[in-house]
Amino acid sequence: MAGQSNLQLSVFSAAEVEFLAEDEQIDIVPNVRMDTLHMICGDYGPFRPQIPVKVPLWLAIALKKRSKCRIQPPDWMTVEKLTQVLEDEREAPREFQPLPFHYVEISRLLFDHAREDISDPYLVRSLLEDIRDVRFHKVESGLENLSAKTHAVKLKNLAAMEVNIVRPFIVRALQCFYKHDSEELVKQSASEVESQAVSSDRVPRRTLRPR
Amino acid sequence: MSSYYDLDDLLAEEETVSVVFRVAADGVGILDPGSEDNNVEQGAKVDVPLWLAQDLCQRQAAFINLPGYFSQRVRKEMQADPGCVDIRTRCPYFYGVGCKLVPITNDATLGSFLLYTLRGRYKDILSKAHSAAISSTPKVMQILSREETMLFQAGRDSMTAFKRWRVEGTRMERAAVLGKKRKSQEL
Repeated sequence: MAGQSNLQLSVFSAAEVEFLAEDEQIDIVPNVRMDTLHMICGDYGPFRPQIPVKVPLWLAIALKKRSKCRIQPPDWMTVEKLTQVLEDEREAPREFQPLPFHYVEISRLLFDHAREDISDPYLVRSLLEDIRDVRFHKVESGLENLSAKTHAVKLKNLAAMEVNIVRPFIVRALQCFYKHDSEELVKQSASEVESQAVSSDRVPRRTLRPR
Repeated sequence: MSSYYDLDDLLAEEETVSVVFRVAADGVGILDPGSEDNNVEQGAKVDVPLWLAQDLCQRQAAFINLPGYFSQRVRKEMQADPGCVDIRTRCPYFYGVGCKLVPITNDATLGSFLLYTLRGRYKDILSKAHSAAISSTPKVMQILSREETMLFQAGRDSMTAFKRWRVEGTRMERAAVLGKKRKSQEL
């Protein structure tokens, strides 16, 4: 699967990653009475006032825009949880804390459309920014170890947006290292440089972030 | 990475290198500006583009002198501090040319020198690519080779795109059709 915005590089744009994130389920508390909605992706509802119901994020936002519901922020988007995550994130310099795969996008969407439903929005937002910064710094310091012997990079618990940011760089860097470390170049065999052996998957993988 | 349609690959082959002819060649005096008749003599030193040098060397018609940017002096400089060496003015296709020279030169250390250079400069590129300012062209780009610039740009562009997405206000784009006013009288 590749994004549509850049056909050559097969990367996603941030907006495309956000689009994918809108399929995540979220709890809403409707304030109107409505029958079940029959969508291609499933049936949602029925909606009864003050009875929480699970819907995809895009539907939640659509209802929120018409002020027909209140969005319940997910469990991880609370000050206590995020403070805990930030602390753990700082304490463990070699691993990432488990957060939802789309946490960057979901929080952004909620802040844009349902700010009043989030308790303590300023603190939550700055915590999220801090967590993202710490995590990205970890990615960068991990990438410094990238070398010619790296054939794959393992990044456990990395979120969609974070992967998306470093993807073009990692791909190019690995290509460069692979090219310059090939047997033909370094050991100087007589064969042509271009005829590089296809990367075999059996080589031991280097774990960037051992758990 | 190198392919038939790769423009950078083609341009790298345009770089001139100096070769020494092992045999006399008739009718190609155009290659050697110093020749009086239309021939290149045996032992003549001639600057030719890399794509021609590759062929000449494969046919044993000439042997190659490594260009100045692979000389011992540059290698020493690179050992001192890889991040500061200005590759761009020396040869914009430093790695591409280097890789193509490996099979036709006798210097067995060239390949490992290229790898050493890449490894040394990679960390610099990594740390600067993701933290560079969005608008201005960073100074570091002036010393990067073409291959390194692409790596740098890849990191910088994706970071810029993310930052733009984060601060961007309204994301819903209005379809052009919706904005138009309906004409008062339809035909």
